[in-house]
Amino acid sequence: MRVSQVWQALRSSPIGVLGLLLLMIQVLVSLYVVVTFPEEFGVRFWSNPVYWVDNPKAAPPEWAPRLRGRSSVEHWSATLTEPTAREERGRTILTNYPIPYALKTPGVPSFLSLTVSNVQFAEKAPLLGLTLIRPDETRISLLRHAIKAPREDETGPFTRHAAEPLRFQINAEASVITFIQEFLTEEHDLQLDEAQIKSQVLEILFGTPGTTGEFEPLLGEYEFLFQTASRTPEDSVGAVQIVVGGDSYGSLGTDSIGRDLAQGLLFGLPVALLIGIVVSLTSTLLGTALGITSGYLGGAVDTAIQRMSDIVANIPVLPLLIFLLFIIGPNLTVIMVILVAFSWPGLAIQVRSMVLHMRSSQLIEAIQGLGSSRVRVMWRHILPQIMPYFLAQIIFSAPAAILAEAGLSFLGLGDPSIPTWGQILEAGFRTGGVYVGYWWWIIPPGLLIVMVALTFMLISLAIEPVVNPRLQSSPRR
Amino acid sequence: MRQLIPLTWRAVTLLGVFFVVLLLLVLTLGFTGFSDRILSAVVGEQMRAERTTLAETIRDPAELEQALAARKGELEEFYGLHTPWYYRLPGTVFRVLRLDLGEARSLRSTDGSSRIIDIVMERLPNTMILMTTSLVIVAVLGLGLGLFVATRPGTWMDRSISAFAAITYAIPTWWIGILLILVLSVNWRLLPSGGMYSTPPPADPWPRFLDMAQHAILPVLSMVLVSVGPYIYAVRTITLNIAQEDFVAMARAKGLPERRVRNVHILRVAAPPIVTGLIFGLAGSLSGSILIETVFHWQGMGRLYYDALAGTPDENVIVALTFMFTLIYVGIRLLLEVLYFFLDPRVSYAD
Repeated sequence: MRVSQVWQALRSSPIGVLGLLLLMIQVLVSLYVVVTFPEEFGVRFWSNPVYWVDNPKAAPPEWAPRLRGRSSVEHWSATLTEPTAREERGRTILTNYPIPYALKTPGVPSFLSLTVSNVQFAEKAPLLGLTLIRPDETRISLLRHAIKAPREDETGPFTRHAAEPLRFQINAEASVITFIQEFLTEEHDLQLDEAQIKSQVLEILFGTPGTTGEFEPLLGEYEFLFQTASRTPEDSVGAVQIVVGGDSYGSLGTDSIGRDLAQGLLFGLPVALLIGIVVSLTSTLLGTALGITSGYLGGAVDTAIQRMSDIVANIPVLPLLIFLLFIIGPNLTVIMVILVAFSWPGLAIQVRSMVLHMRSSQLIEAIQGLGSSRVRVMWRHILPQIMPYFLAQIIFSAPAAILAEAGLSFLGLGDPSIPTWGQILEAGFRTGGVYVGYWWWIIPPGLLIVMVALTFMLISLAIEPVVNPRLQSSPRR
Repeated sequence: MRQLIPLTWRAVTLLGVFFVVLLLLVLTLGFTGFSDRILSAVVGEQMRAERTTLAETIRDPAELEQALAARKGELEEFYGLHTPWYYRLPGTVFRVLRLDLGEARSLRSTDGSSRIIDIVMERLPNTMILMTTSLVIVAVLGLGLGLFVATRPGTWMDRSISAFAAITYAIPTWWIGILLILVLSVNWRLLPSGGMYSTPPPADPWPRFLDMAQHAILPVLSMVLVSVGPYIYAVRTITLNIAQEDFVAMARAKGLPERRVRNVHILRVAAPPIVTGLIFGLAGSLSGSILIETVFHWQGMGRLYYDALAGTPDENVIVALTFMFTLIYVGIRLLLEVLYFFLDPRVSYAD
């Protein structure tokens, strides 16, 4: 039997073609991820809560509310770096940064935030202010903030919030409640106490009081007017960003700290393939090498290798994996090395019996009789016959490695610098996302694990009739 | 008695497994300096307590420091910190072998004991309930359906079972568990999402048992769902292979009734590999139970692992659990091998 026969079988079977197709798509997507994702995505972005601060938390995918016939408020953000107008009022200069926003669908945003960065001034610290101009021409003041004045030992010009931007979660600021109270009394002649306002800040800001006492969404063109009041015309603000949090986000939603799940899941694909292929390739190499050595050399070496594989094959792997990872520390390389260390014995035993069978064949005996060296016989005559089994085994054992890593990650032993699907599931489970029904956080990562594992299963099912090895199952989960 | 030799070999292998794991535990703890760190922490904690008591009797600061240093020396000698780990750890191994597993830091048994052996012994039956229930269900379903499909190869049922086996092989048990929680207990509110009893647990034994059974449905279901497919498939394949042998054709040619051919000629030969498959399935089921107990807050040994790992990890408990898991696994395996041997003396372990 030849490797080319394996390829033939794969091409002629529908499940084989399906498996190959899936594998090709996964490899292409992985390449895309490897090329486009930033370096150290895990450390610098995924595990960095600051990076996700302006995303809605635990938001379902954008298509989810539509599926149930509900409208959703889209996530929206805009940044302005240059002011549009400047006016002088006595000694102060007012600089305007108007940012238009349209509320198109009836609904309530999940939060409202303002981020200001790189404030520069020559003498006196500027004042910042934000006002919401609503479709009905009414105005609500949202924020007033004084930039920190220079210390005595400082000399100008001064820079503030260059490295760490100044961020306000407007709906959670204490001052906004007072502003709303004033607004409601003036515009609607409505007296609400603090607690009542606190529980519906966003409903009030983006709505009008309805007949039932609840606030109804007010659709139309809004404007966020950001203003600075400064002393000298050179004073400036680097960038002003307004974020209106949606009640849904992106194609796959977000987790409880606002991470875009689509990005994490995409990143998990090359990692899963890497784990599957590297672990199965290495352990197959190791198992085949030991099996050939054991079968061909015989004697004490054979006994030693066989006893070793007997022992390793019978070790309950998961408890030991947990122990070793806990002691050595969660690290992807360590995970892969340990997985390899425990998954070679089945193959070693199997290859040995195949070699024993071949060694006693007349062909090999004849070749040996002609004076071929042991190494040459192994390399030229035994290895090629084992090759198809070797390939089949790589594909067959890949899912076990992927599932094992996912299980370890789920126990909290995943490498924190490299996000994997198991870790995303772990986060969803640990933070209680399951019990409040955040399905978009639980279902996709699991489905992806199943899809990748199944891809390898399909391919190995297709080549099984040709290779027909007594494929022994490697340790699972 | 010649037949006892392979059985002895199995026993030696399993004993080897046990000692290799023990050796691995000791070497890892020693080489990584982990053992030293744990003991230093213990000494440090005791010293803080001693400082407060000693400070009440000894007023002079210099004298106090001296007394404390002397006490610290005593403690370090008591715990063996003054010698390198390879002198100290053999002693630890013997202690562990006598099941003296030490104290847990914050985990407790229900009666408040912090001795790890008490906690483990309390959790062990819970793990056993889960494992044996699912193993029995898998065995019954696997045998029944496997033999059933084996008589109808190539039918839609046969093919769908093969597909089911392939798909479930690719599904993590714990993810199925989470999905079941999401659908059956969060969305439809049919079954409890976790734990072993309702709060408060029923007092009478019978309602208490029913309550536990209700809580066990989802964990057992997820374990069965994932492992039954491959087992049915294995039973089917083994039986089909034997059914194609010449002696079966011979039995049929003799005119024996199909029933007798199946029960006597095929099953008798197929039984050993089928049972072996089930014994080996034990390892998977043990690992599966660690993850499943975690998902369902089932108060077994697996959940104990998770509890020991979460928050400030409890090293003593993790070491003790790894040891206990290996011990139990090797013990059950040995028991099954012996049982298996005596139930069917014709069993040969030769290749």
